This record gives sequence, structure tokens and C-alpha cells, in this order.
Amino acid sequence: MKKLLASLVLMGTTQLAAAQGTSLYLFNWNDYIAEEAVAAFEQSCHCQLVQDYYSSTEEMMAKLQAGASGYDVVVPSQNAVQALVKQGALAPLDKGALPNLKNIDPAFLDRGYDPGNGYSVPYAFTTTLIGYNESELGKLGIDAADWSVIFDPMVLEKIKGKVTVMDDAQELFGAALKYLGYSVNDHDEKHLREAQQVIRTAKPYWAAFNSSSYIKELTVGNIWVAHGYSSDMVQAQADAAAAGRHFTINFALPRQGAVLALDNLVIPKSAKNKALAHQFLNFMMDGKHAAGVTNEVGAGNPNAAATAFISEEIKAQTAIFPDPATLALLEPLEESSPKVRRLLNKLWTEIKIR
Amino acid sequence: MRRKTWRRQLLTLPPTGYLLLFFAVPSIIMLFASFRYAGEYGGLAPWYYYEAGEFSLDLTLENWQRLFESEIYLLLFLKSIGYALLTSLLCILLGYPLALMIARRPKRQRDLLLLLVILPFWSNFLVRIYAWMIIFSPAGALTQMVNGLLGLFGLGPVTLMYSTTAVIVTLVYVHLPFMVLPLYANLEKQSPALLDAAQDLGANSWRRFWHVTWPLSLPGIYAGSILVFIPVLGMFAIPDLLGGTDSIMIANVIKQQFVESRDWPFGSVLSMVMTVAAVLVVLLGARLARQGVARG
Repeated sequence: MKKLLASLVLMGTTQLAAAQGTSLYLFNWNDYIAEEAVAAFEQSCHCQLVQDYYSSTEEMMAKLQAGASGYDVVVPSQNAVQALVKQGALAPLDKGALPNLKNIDPAFLDRGYDPGNGYSVPYAFTTTLIGYNESELGKLGIDAADWSVIFDPMVLEKIKGKVTVMDDAQELFGAALKYLGYSVNDHDEKHLREAQQVIRTAKPYWAAFNSSSYIKELTVGNIWVAHGYSSDMVQAQADAAAAGRHFTINFALPRQGAVLALDNLVIPKSAKNKALAHQFLNFMMDGKHAAGVTNEVGAGNPNAAATAFISEEIKAQTAIFPDPATLALLEPLEESSPKVRRLLNKLWTEIKIR
Repeated sequence: MRRKTWRRQLLTLPPTGYLLLFFAVPSIIMLFASFRYAGEYGGLAPWYYYEAGEFSLDLTLENWQRLFESEIYLLLFLKSIGYALLTSLLCILLGYPLALMIARRPKRQRDLLLLLVILPFWSNFLVRIYAWMIIFSPAGALTQMVNGLLGLFGLGPVTLMYSTTAVIVTLVYVHLPFMVLPLYANLEKQSPALLDAAQDLGANSWRRFWHVTWPLSLPGIYAGSILVFIPVLGMFAIPDLLGGTDSIMIANVIKQQFVESRDWPFGSVLSMVMTVAAVLVVLLGARLARQGVARG
């Protein structure tokens, strides 16, 4: 919702910048690039970097589907890359113009959503985890590094009405499937129904389904446990500290594993300035510039060369900077078939109606 | 004479054209979409195939069957209609005394008071909802006051944020001016001479209200109720932002079909049902209002 205002303001700036020579149009998640990197790129290319924002994959897909053109670079998550490639919406990458591709950790290359990285280069990743009020949960002796903190009635009994979960069927079912020991991409109807049962049992203890304002609710202290994106929890932690609260916010990756969202830089077929777009991709894969999104935003980094530039403080946090053992437990969401989407939506509506 | 009718018809051409273009045509497109298959990445699949010189249609009734497959959609419609009725009723209860009070003031004061009713419209709808989020939050003034009062009677504290109560209160707040304005327009037109006549005939103030003012104001109530009922029926932002875990309305599910599920045909089915429900309500309201006018 807030993004609507932001994009209106941006439409204004977009037109302004267009009048001032070369511009690169970036369609990005809100707050997902380091200010420093923007400034450095603008200086090196003698051009303007014009950003437009989205806050969900669906929003971005809907906008591109509706024929939005003029973006030179977009930052879709892995499942959206897969969909965009199938739709034929992306331009193939010219690897010759991307020497810095060698900096990317091979663990993040050549994945199922874009074999051979013909269309996308990994940019940053977030995990969906648990953000919590360390002081309150500490008093109650509750372990936040386990999905039971949002699903087990025995635990929830103590924090009733102080928990929010994401208002997103895929994310919440993913978490429930992990809690049950299945894969987040398990589309077996029986397993999805089991997950629905888990969610239904826990629902009376939750305050709300909330994907938009849990940062604020955690920071103010209204909510003690929130299911949400890791980069948002980093933000909540910093905000609470800056506001001098009498409690601290922390976050933890549940030991059963979680959803990983790997965001990529891609160039739409309709891009006006493909050469400049390649230049931007290569620039952002430089270790120093790649580190910004981790240091400033708190996102995970798939760039091996960036490690040297990342602050020690962040490197110590496995939720942002997972070690190989933790990384193995994280699963990216895959694109699901229309039939599965329909089933999921029906189960979701059944959950939300009462 | 004939020329006059011709001219009158010419005058109705722009509004008729507008309605055709922006109501009839989209409705027909949506009706058609409700019989098509969903495209894999949103949008719609082609509705015909032309293969080897043979033309075949690719339409289905499956989307409509899904509506009746499970009772949840029907329940959701009933629940949303319930919310809309409750909101309209509360708006009448709050709006009627206000409109009456404004209508009975001297002319100069009336303009100022009306301006105050419209004033909230000057700030953005979402900004007003976010303001309510602050008011309802556990540390907010309203919650503190309610819990303070409850505490006097030895009752436990309640949470207002993320509840159906929060949704209804905000729905009433946002839509109250839509009730007050038509009611005021109606009440202001009523001639004070009628009340004087009733008084001369010995009617006390309650009888004057119940037998003169109230029946004459019915068209205003119906008009206001329609203006409140229909937008509430289609509301999704308020339940999304302020609702608890069970406060969703039908429009939230419609939005889900178009955005998250990428299932435009089923979204069209639900939208069609909602459009028909809204048209029925308007017809009912218009009919009642006409009867009210005829009786008055």
C-alpha cells in the first residue's frame, strides 16, 4: 500500500531523470539496494539509476504481465525467474559482458530455475524465519529457533495474541510443511491437508495474518513473535535498538529448515538499454559493491568475493550468513501448477473464513 | 413535440454511453472470462483453437461448478453481506441524529457543519486506516480507555487491534459521510410548515418526528444505505489491515484470485456474483425509495 505512494512519487522522478540524459531503469524490491552502490554506479556510468519498487512477487508479475515496459533490470525471486523465462519475457545474458560472474558462489549458480544462468545472475537472498522479542521470550523460556513457536499449541498457550504469521499462503504452508518434516515444495494433497490442519489448530492463538506491518509491531512491542523475511527482522532489530526500547528484538532460523528466496538480476526483453543493463549487472557482481546489500539491508549474499567486505558482526549471524550445513536446510519455493495453486487457494480460504 | 423527445434523448446519450462503456462492456468481458480457462502465468488461456483447419472452442463451466463445490464461498458472501448490513445500520443510527441536527441549524452553521462532515475526505483513505491502527494498538488511547473502564468492573483487558470489532468500527467511520450527506439533503428539503401544522393539530414532538419527519426521510435512508452497503460489500483493504485471523470478506478472496492464485476465471465468477448482488440491492433500494416517495 505504501509502495503505491512511493511509485507515484517515482513516476514523477522517472520523467524528470529521462530529461537529463542516459538512465537505467531498475524495478526492484523496496529497500533492496545499498545507497553507496547506487551512487558509485551513477558515477561510473555517468547516468542516472531510476528505481521503481514492488513489495511482492505477485505485484511485480502482475505489472509486467499487464505490459509494463521500459524497465532495464528487474530483481525477481527464483520462482518468478522460472515463470518469466517460460513466458519468454527475458533477454538472454551476454556472458562476455559479465566477467564478474566468476565471483558468484557456485552453490547459487546453475540451479533448476535457470539452468546455466542463461537469463539471471544471483543478487541477494532472504530467508523466511522467526523474529521475536528476546526479552519476553527469554522470561518465558521459549525457544524461537523452532517452528513450534508458531504452530505448537503447548508453546502458543503462553504467548496467545502476541504472534503474527505471514499473510501469504505459499510462505505459511511452506513453514507448516517444514514443521511436519516435508519439503516446502511438497504438493501432495494429503500433506497439504495435514499442513492446513496444523495451521487451523494454531490459528486461534495468533493475533493476525500480517505481511505488511510486522516490523512496526515487533519494534513497538505489541507483538512478540513474527513470521517474516530475514531482512525485515534485521530492520526491526535495528529500529528497536535505535528507539531505545527496554527490550531487544532478535531473529532465528527454525532448525527444521525454512524457505529461501534467492533474488536475481534479469534483463527484460523489452529493455531499452541492454548494454547499460549488462554494465549494471557486472558492476553489482563486483565484491565491494555486492557487499552493500548485506551490510546496509541485511540480506544474504551469494557473492563469494563480497565476503571480504562484509562486517564481522553480520558474518557471525547464521540466519543471514548461513554456514553450508544451514544452507542445506533452506529450500527455494518452486513455481507451482495452476491446479496446485487452486487447491492451495481453497485450503487458504477455508482457513481464513472462520 | 416529437422534436422535443428527440432532443431529450440526445441529452441522455453521453450518460448512457458512459454506462455502456464502463459498466456493461466490462461486465460482459468478465462474464465471458468466467467461462474460460486460466492462463498458466495469470491472464486467460485462449478461448478457441484453430488446428489443421478445424476450429474448436475451449470454454468450460468448471469455474462456476467450483462456486458450489464447497460451502465456503456462499458462507463468505453471507458473512460479507452481514458486515455490510451491520455497517449500514450503524451508519443510520449514528448518521440520522447528526443529519437532523445539521438540517435544523441556521443556514450559516449548516454549511460549516457539512464541511466538517466532509473534512476527513481531504486526507487519503489509507492514511485514515493507518491512523486507526494507532488508535486500536494496545498502547493507543482508545484501547487504554476501554480497558480502564472494563477494569472498574473487574473485567480483563481486551485487544481491539486485529479484530472484527476493529473492522466494523473502521468500516462505519469511513462510510458515515455517505449516509449523512443524502440524509441531510433529504431532511433539509422538508418544509418546516409541515411540523408547524402537526403541532397545531396537537402532535407532541415524538409524534411529529415519527409521523412526519421519519416517513418523509425514508428515500434519504435508502439512498444512504445503498451508498454505504455497496462499497462495504467490495471492501478488502480494511479487513486486510485491521482484521484478525477470521475477518476476511469476499473481496479479499476475489483479490487473491487475481493476484496470488493467478486464477482470473474464478475471480470473474466471484466478481459476477458480487455485481449481481449489488445490482439487486440497488433495485431493492430504488423500489423502496419510490414507494416512500409515493406514500409521502
